[in-house]
Amino acid sequence: MKPFVALVAGTLRQQLGGRRLLLLLLLGLVPAAVLGVLLADQRTVIGARQAFHEAPLVILFFVVLPVASLVFGSGALGDERRDATLSFILLRPLPRSLLAAAKLLGAWLAAFAVVGVGAAAMAVVLGVRSGDWSPLGPLLLGTALSCLAYVSVFLVLGYLTARAVLVGLLYVFVWETSMTGTIPSLASVSLMRIGLSAYAGLVPIGRVYIEDILGVVQPGAGGAALKAAVVAIVAVGMVTLLLRHRDIA
Amino acid sequence: MNALSPSWVAQPTVEVRTVSKWFGQKVAVSDLTCAFGPGITGLLGPNGAGKTTLLRLLVGLLSPSDGEIRVLGRDPRRNPDVYRSLALVPEEDAVYGFQTARQFAAYAAVLSGAGSEAVEQAIATVELGDAADRPISGFSKGMRQRAKVAAALVTDAPLLVLDEPLNGTDPVQRAHLIGVFRRLAAEGRTVIVSSHVLAEVERMADRVLAMVDGKLAAAGDVAAIRQAMTDIPYRVRLEADEPRPLAAALLDAAVVDSVAVAGRILTVETGDLAGLGATVAPLARSLGLRLSLFEPEDLSLESVFRYLVRGR
Repeated sequence: MKPFVALVAGTLRQQLGGRRLLLLLLLGLVPAAVLGVLLADQRTVIGARQAFHEAPLVILFFVVLPVASLVFGSGALGDERRDATLSFILLRPLPRSLLAAAKLLGAWLAAFAVVGVGAAAMAVVLGVRSGDWSPLGPLLLGTALSCLAYVSVFLVLGYLTARAVLVGLLYVFVWETSMTGTIPSLASVSLMRIGLSAYAGLVPIGRVYIEDILGVVQPGAGGAALKAAVVAIVAVGMVTLLLRHRDIA
Repeated sequence: MNALSPSWVAQPTVEVRTVSKWFGQKVAVSDLTCAFGPGITGLLGPNGAGKTTLLRLLVGLLSPSDGEIRVLGRDPRRNPDVYRSLALVPEEDAVYGFQTARQFAAYAAVLSGAGSEAVEQAIATVELGDAADRPISGFSKGMRQRAKVAAALVTDAPLLVLDEPLNGTDPVQRAHLIGVFRRLAAEGRTVIVSSHVLAEVERMADRVLAMVDGKLAAAGDVAAIRQAMTDIPYRVRLEADEPRPLAAALLDAAVVDSVAVAGRILTVETGDLAGLGATVAPLARSLGLRLSLFEPEDLSLESVFRYLVRGR
């Protein structure tokens, strides 16, 4: 257990250091700031809810969440490879699956530290201005699940290629944003929509607003959690295999 | 391969059997067979010789394209448990800049299942005590090297693989680290050290494997390598008051391969050192010349290595 905890803590420290964290935290607070501006003229709870589910939610799920997940997910193993420290953690008497799981958990916690703060800030702005605190928990759950799914995919990507950020951005903005939004049948394989599904399952009124703007979501927190867990397990399995069989040049 | 071969040892802890490694079209290691046992083995070769690739194969960071590697009887690629007994100091600056030296060594200890007392001992061994609580990012290259060595030592591994461990260290640090490696070897550990600095390998290693172009060029102790390379000409420096007539006469002598003249100094290459000694004095006398120097060049590893590299 001690090596696992040490690896998670090491990953967190590695990922959350420096200016990167500050920049991402500022990005994470953009949805809350936008919501604050939108609510300046809103006097009704319904109007406030609607504003909450428009631009701020879109920025949170379409920009903040994938970017933070991409940076921390691809960096968890990619930074080790780039800095040549991978041998430091690999040449240890530890199961490769434990290394993979610890890296995933560390990257997820790092990404959620940024996205969660942004989501919480958004919900707090809504709560303070309208008295409606109901989205806080569901939004944290939804972003946590999408973060987990994204970080899982980007963890593998970061290990496979030094161009993970570029490939990841293309994936996010071409596939997740454009394709799954315009072709309804692809919505079920969208990582971002895993979180939106969980949120919509717990905040039914939210589904109406979300589908108006973001296209189809299939509400259900349980199913969303299961999907995110499956993606994470598959990613850990893939990284385990890669760590066992791929050369570390 | 048997224990009589100079590339093999009687009780190997690491066995490399007909191993090749290629990256696309580039062959980094070619059909290499050798073994390592207790004591210090120096892995020597110029840049690009395949030393780092071989070390990465030994520790399991790379898999052989062909052949087989056994570390303590096991394949390191399939048995992470091997890493209880194996520690690597990589060539790269593989440190976490945000950690202190003590945290770095402690991280290695936790991941390897070692205790905290091993951390303090390792820090003391590399003499980093005064700087142990400073971030590694502020360290000099030599200090970072010592931090890496400390992280390797915390595991108390019987097999240490050190890739250019003295890079960037100053002469005092170098002497100290060489002492540390020799002590570890004297305790019965297998220490494999790669270097392209010949003098360092000579000071450290009981045994040398020389690699050139991914192949094993020579193996054994320095004297044995020299002896094995019977076709390497000995180089002898002569000084005469009239060097040119002596050079011309020497070229006619059967024992002389070549002669170069620079000022009053002649550098003579010969495959028969004793024969040259018996020839040159009477020759000088017969020419009426005064011979003031007869000095075989040092049979250093450098001269052997220069020959090995030049011959390919």
